[in-house]
Amino acid sequence: MSKKYDVVVIGAGNGGLVAAAKSALEGKKTLLIERHNLPGGSATSFVRGRFEFEASLHELCGIGPFIEGGRELKKIFDELGVSEKIEWVALDEAFRMISLNEKEHADYTLPTTRKAFVDKVEEYCPGSREKSEKLFDIIEEANAGLDYLGTIQNFSTDIFKKIFGEYSDFINSAGYTVEEVFDALDLPQAARDCFGGYWLYLGTPLDEQSFMHYFTMFKSYIIDGPVIPKTRSHGISSAILERFEELGGEAWMSTAVRKILVRNGTVCGVELDNGDVIECDYIICNASPYNMYTKLIDGADIPKYQIKKLNSVKLAPKGFSMFLGLDKSAEELGINNHSYFIYDTTDTAKQSELTRSRAANNMQAAVCLNKGVPGCSPDGTCILYITSLFTGDDAWNDITEENYVAAKREFADRLISSFEKATGVKIRDSIEEIEIASPVTYARYLDAPNGTIYGFENTGSYGIVQRVVTDAMGKKIGHLYYAGGYGTKSLGFSPSYSTGYEAATAALRNMEKEAAKQ
Amino acid sequence: MKIKANPYSSGIKDFTNTLLSLPGRFGDVAKASDKKPMSPTEFQVNKVAAAIHPKMQVLVVEKIEELVDDFKCYTLKAENGKAAYFRAGQYLAFQIKIGNSLCTRAYSIASSPKDAVNGIYKIAVKRVADGFVSGYILDNWKEGAMVTAYAPEGTFVYEPLRDAKTVIGIAGGSGITPFLSLAKAIDERTENLNLILLYGARTEKDLAFKDELDRIALSNGSFKVVYVLSESKQKGYEHGFIGADLIKKYAPASADYSVFACGPEAMYNFLAKEVETLGIRRKFIRFEMQGVSKMTAKNAGLTDETCKVTVIDKGEKREIEGRCNETVLTALEKAGIAVPVRCRSGECGFCRSKLVCGEVYIDDASDYRRLADAQFNYIHPCCTFPKGDITIKIN
Repeated sequence: MSKKYDVVVIGAGNGGLVAAAKSALEGKKTLLIERHNLPGGSATSFVRGRFEFEASLHELCGIGPFIEGGRELKKIFDELGVSEKIEWVALDEAFRMISLNEKEHADYTLPTTRKAFVDKVEEYCPGSREKSEKLFDIIEEANAGLDYLGTIQNFSTDIFKKIFGEYSDFINSAGYTVEEVFDALDLPQAARDCFGGYWLYLGTPLDEQSFMHYFTMFKSYIIDGPVIPKTRSHGISSAILERFEELGGEAWMSTAVRKILVRNGTVCGVELDNGDVIECDYIICNASPYNMYTKLIDGADIPKYQIKKLNSVKLAPKGFSMFLGLDKSAEELGINNHSYFIYDTTDTAKQSELTRSRAANNMQAAVCLNKGVPGCSPDGTCILYITSLFTGDDAWNDITEENYVAAKREFADRLISSFEKATGVKIRDSIEEIEIASPVTYARYLDAPNGTIYGFENTGSYGIVQRVVTDAMGKKIGHLYYAGGYGTKSLGFSPSYSTGYEAATAALRNMEKEAAKQ
Repeated sequence: MKIKANPYSSGIKDFTNTLLSLPGRFGDVAKASDKKPMSPTEFQVNKVAAAIHPKMQVLVVEKIEELVDDFKCYTLKAENGKAAYFRAGQYLAFQIKIGNSLCTRAYSIASSPKDAVNGIYKIAVKRVADGFVSGYILDNWKEGAMVTAYAPEGTFVYEPLRDAKTVIGIAGGSGITPFLSLAKAIDERTENLNLILLYGARTEKDLAFKDELDRIALSNGSFKVVYVLSESKQKGYEHGFIGADLIKKYAPASADYSVFACGPEAMYNFLAKEVETLGIRRKFIRFEMQGVSKMTAKNAGLTDETCKVTVIDKGEKREIEGRCNETVLTALEKAGIAVPVRCRSGECGFCRSKLVCGEVYIDDASDYRRLADAQFNYIHPCCTFPKGDITIKIN
């Protein structure tokens, strides 16, 4: 078999799906290859008994239901023509954050939108209003600055003047950690807890977390507003795939790529598991750089810079999730919130230390889907997800085939107890269905090294700017682009979709450039 | 490294900090090793994932024992010595080529999880009246034969965070196998529950694995077995069909218990109504899947008409024959088309395919599709009947 495609996309995860759809939209003959029997990667769902569980998405940012015209992800989905295939629910409540350390007296429920958030912080932390407003100003201006940077094609002195003049808050904050910015504002502890509550979504403690990642995330959740899809994230994945096929794209499921073929430093095709070779001009790879550079591409074809770059960064946290179908409604159980962040301590550095092992970690993000999507499970039942993270590389190294099920159950058991202790809600006796996913599960489904779900660690020294610049430099394999959670935008749904869009755009631009040369 | 300067003190300095932290990043890259990084497959959790979920396992038939008439136990040894570990109650789906057909059938594992560590699985196959595959296995699998199975799958397992501490197991026919595995796991202390097994058969001689079950029950207080004979009255045995009265007789009087059932459709039809009268919560009732009901097509008024099934696989089209009273999967199997199949009951979703056009029938009882799959016209061929000519995309 030897068909020639303009673009082959390896992997139908969030990045791969959007890249494929954009490529097909621009009229390129595009083949999307996925080793699983369904699209989405992390963005999927599964059915147990009478429940359909979301596999990964808590809240999606980037759609921007509170912003006129929506935000960048909505624009991408609109352009691709997938928006009308997905029904969103916007969330008014951001999260409830509770510390298990009673001495910290932290139990805060925060709303979305700037005004409501500031009012609430003032309530929890009287006298903080001015500082909260200042922090929001910085967050908004820094985001505007970053957006502006993204529009620049060629640098000039005018541009520098503009950045320093209009977006000084971007300049003043982007190079620091979140904690440094909080320190500079002298933000009181309770306000820090409220503003920092989301840190787990980025997986890096506030004393190491790049403020640039923080301000983009915080704005997109609180100011632009989060949404959840009515039919789980599998609904998003299916909608993009459907659109891709409508646009003439070809998608092969249950098909694995064994090799990326490189000729004279430029990709020329892929070899499938069954030995078939598919020729193509461009490849957008949604498999992780670890897979690309240790399995898919022959060592001799890989530029040294790419290996060094990969060796210079660390893996982000590893994932753990449990999926509970409860045989009582949220109201009967007393679950009042959609999204909970429960921490051992509000000291994020300390918490991050605790998450190095299973023995000491109780940190969790819990989501009751019914509080966001009423009717998502049968009457008299509800769905609850509890997710935790592990930092470092060793938390699950003692796992064997035989002790695995008991070990993950033991940890799940602990998280259930912690949830009950923090919220006072009893859930243990109502479990009708339970599935437990650990780093082993993520290793299985995502081929993720050590079960990481967040790509590379997003510390201050590996923020967005550093990613973009080191990505632009160095020798590359020609016509090969990466899209996904290990990309320049860092982890998460919205960034992965957007790297897919950018990868396809870059490939298309290169096609035009090369066509113009000839 | 802490930056002591106040970020809001000096724009220039902070700009330096933001963008000129880059040389540090370049330095990190320059200093980094140029050796091939660790492959995802080399991490311990990735190794465990691969060991538990191999793509396919090649097994050699080591021993065949006749249990009772037309019911044989097969001891299978992993060719490479490594049988994927599993949870008692799970099944193996075998891929079997019979003539031009390529079939997949699931059999619950009868051996203990610990046996898998030694590379051993046991399954038991009972001849099904007008069954295509069971008869083939019974007549054709010989000692030394090589067979292929997917990794263990299935959710018919004991889960202490969900189930009651005491499980009333109800077994009929070949449905004894997952309970035998569970009893062994209790005996080997890899599972911790009280299992009270009600095992139904027509007569004493139809009881398979009786010696083994008796031995475990004798030595282990957490496992008890009660034989229930429908066609003979004998001392030491219960008589009749397994229903609410028998369950109540053996269930704990004042504590929660779970009911787990595995057996033929006729048993389920009777049992489902009986269990309903017990008034126990739904979460405490688990029936193992046993394929799509044979009555589905008839009840839906689907007749024996043939139809055209157009199958798209990686862009290639192929036309095969289907029947309106047989599942789409049956048509694919008969045509020898490889489809990733496991449970054949609508539940696992492995065979998920796109219905490109045509009308189909899916019974509510076996419709476990995701919401978006129903929205975008995906089907599970194992529980879907063509109502006429259809086109599906399998890959």
